[in-house]
Amino acid sequence: MMETARFLLRKLAADRTAALGALLILLLIVVAIAAPVLSTHPQDVAEFNPPGRLQPPSAEHYFGTDRMGSDVYSRILFGARITITIAVIAIGVSVLIGVPVGLVAGYYRNWASDALMRISDIFLAVPQIVLAIAIAQTLGPSIENVILALSATYWPFWARLVYAETRSALNETYVEASIALGASPGRVMLFHVLPNISSSLIVRTTIGMGGTILTAATLGFLGLGPPAPSPEWGRTIAESREFLPEAWWYATAPGLAIFLVVMGFNLFGDGLRDILDPRTRRSSDG
Amino acid sequence: MLTRHASRLCRFAAAAAIALGAATAPAAAGGKFIFANSSAYDTLDPHAVFDVGRVASRINLYDGLMRWFDNPPHLEPWLAETVDISDDGLTYTFTLRDAKFHDGSPVEASDVVYSIDRILAMKKGAYSLFEGTVAPGSTQAPDAKTVVFNLSKPSAIFLATVPEIHVLNAELVKANEADGDLGTAWLSKNDAGSGSFQLRRYDPAIGWQATRFEDHFFGWDMVDNPLDEIEFRTVVEINSRVLGLMNGDFHGTDGYLPQDQVKRLRTSDHVVVQEEESMRIFYSIIHNGRPPMNDINFRKALSYAFDYDGFIDNILSGSVARNPVPLPNNMWGSPKDAGGYTLDLEKAKEHLAMVEGDVREITLGALAGYGQTEQAAALLQNGLNKIGVKTRIVAETWPVASGKMRDEEQMYDLLFLWKSTYYADPNNWLGEMYACEQIGARNNSWYCNEEVDRLLSEARVSTDQDLRRANYEKANRLLMEDAAGIFVYNTKWFGPFNKNARGVRFSPIGNGQEMRWVSME
Repeated sequence: MMETARFLLRKLAADRTAALGALLILLLIVVAIAAPVLSTHPQDVAEFNPPGRLQPPSAEHYFGTDRMGSDVYSRILFGARITITIAVIAIGVSVLIGVPVGLVAGYYRNWASDALMRISDIFLAVPQIVLAIAIAQTLGPSIENVILALSATYWPFWARLVYAETRSALNETYVEASIALGASPGRVMLFHVLPNISSSLIVRTTIGMGGTILTAATLGFLGLGPPAPSPEWGRTIAESREFLPEAWWYATAPGLAIFLVVMGFNLFGDGLRDILDPRTRRSSDG
Repeated sequence: MLTRHASRLCRFAAAAAIALGAATAPAAAGGKFIFANSSAYDTLDPHAVFDVGRVASRINLYDGLMRWFDNPPHLEPWLAETVDISDDGLTYTFTLRDAKFHDGSPVEASDVVYSIDRILAMKKGAYSLFEGTVAPGSTQAPDAKTVVFNLSKPSAIFLATVPEIHVLNAELVKANEADGDLGTAWLSKNDAGSGSFQLRRYDPAIGWQATRFEDHFFGWDMVDNPLDEIEFRTVVEINSRVLGLMNGDFHGTDGYLPQDQVKRLRTSDHVVVQEEESMRIFYSIIHNGRPPMNDINFRKALSYAFDYDGFIDNILSGSVARNPVPLPNNMWGSPKDAGGYTLDLEKAKEHLAMVEGDVREITLGALAGYGQTEQAAALLQNGLNKIGVKTRIVAETWPVASGKMRDEEQMYDLLFLWKSTYYADPNNWLGEMYACEQIGARNNSWYCNEEVDRLLSEARVSTDQDLRRANYEKANRLLMEDAAGIFVYNTKWFGPFNKNARGVRFSPIGNGQEMRWVSME
């Protein structure tokens, strides 16, 4: 285990873009945890100061103030918590649903397996963002419902992936051998198939985080995310539209935050893929 | 018989001619005016909708017997030449002028009868104004030029609501009926009116265009160089509307933009911002029928916890006037010395301590896409936080919120929104917002106070102006004392228009969107 970790770190250090991605993700995690310490006006998440609204960036307010006179910098830091919460839970739930579905559907070849995959096909047939908007709109705006909408629309991607990987793993000799030795289906799936497909799973999950954060911000922008005065990034951008272009900092700060975080996950995911999944390695590294 | 003649109309016409410059022969090129509208025209049927966002199709394509003009609004005969009101206040006799529909056929009394009966049958739009006052089939047309309304009960506001009876070309609509739908499908995208403009093109996704109706009964002599064509285009995004005005693509948009955008428009060489005191109050509905809001002390605590000055002076840059009662300050019947609540957390705490029973988490409703309502809810949340009341803000779109408003269970605990002018009578606000009989319809506060209700009912039927004024003033004070809602401000209208536009006439009812007076230089 330690060997693998060391190998990964060495590989990552050699890949600068992936290292940059890892750094950005690390930054997001630190910011989310330490938001109360790092922010200059932590009370501004729930308290307002109307006389000081829409002030440009200054030493007092790094990213200026918003329409309620709150410090944009502090709110962005607290917004990171919401972003991480949404992304981690939504992806976690998607993996918890998608992986077992994919494993079972891939291992067995019967009507149930077909039914599971057709259900995931139905979800995949509708553009993911459209489905998420429909679900979030129906359930009403809140963090919980955004997570629900994202989980409900993301799990089929994992189901598809695991299904395909499982099908190909079943032809491998080590699986045939364990079946021949009398291993139960559960044992084969959990201890033989799953560990051998975990690398593509990790890559997919990392890149999926970026997409999830972007979709969550989109929902927030459309007013389907957590309601005011939540510092969620997408909602902050939506609020700022009224004040563009004069209050440029108001939209720029959360926009930059989303950009950096999504880029971080994508770069890191790409790097991981190069290391763990040589089949789809970027051609430049060839 | 009490007789009111339309001589006023002639005076008004003359005055308007003076205001608009000496009447000269209309010049050749009248130009085109493009108005960027914030909400979509999903239907053009004048009887299907009754809101401010889609008022332009009603007042430009259609005519009513009476019409509201200017600010403060005054009611004038329009398609009607005279109106006689019987002593018992039950019979209204209108005599029609010579007017033509867009297809050239004459406007007759039977068309008016058809129109009011259609409103009563459709039960949509302005229907609630006439429900219980005008019975279906009770309106008569003794001859082609005379319409007689026989009211079921006296109503002080009937005349004020007559402008909403937009007159349809009955024959044309009947010819286009499908399966007894009263022509709703056809009228949603066609025009059967006699208005100053004639529909040319309509697309629910884009908006509508209309050309000047040369044969309009009011004539065009008094407008120097009137518009040949008007277009009302749907442009949802505020920034697109503002930019379009600043670079001359649009010639007008709604006058209730955020103050920061108004400031921006004022810097443009292409735009002139006109300012008028409007009649559109901003307030929070309080669900009076549900605990803990049914406790007067809790409602008072709410009223003392809102930062009125911070909201008006800072967030809205002082662009509106504090309005401590439910009736706009500039409407008669509004008490001049009402005082009103201020932010006072100590008093809020005192009242909160007197609340009987438990105080749970309160839901503060706001309208998604209307930043002001969210900011007001956030400010109130801020104040309530400090006195230890937990709140949750829910922002939902207008169609969702307006549906919930009619349901006692689904209605939010509080909801910030505006109440606009549909007709200039105190009943437009007080009578609809707080009369017991309107509960669940337009009284979305589930507020029913015997004394207030008596004052409002009396004022609704009385023709004694002094009594009405006294009743409304008293009702205002009682509602404020009762903290029936959180009353915040009365709006000012900042109408941005292209600098070449002349003759815009603002009225709180049409919001400056009646285009027949406008010309482009």
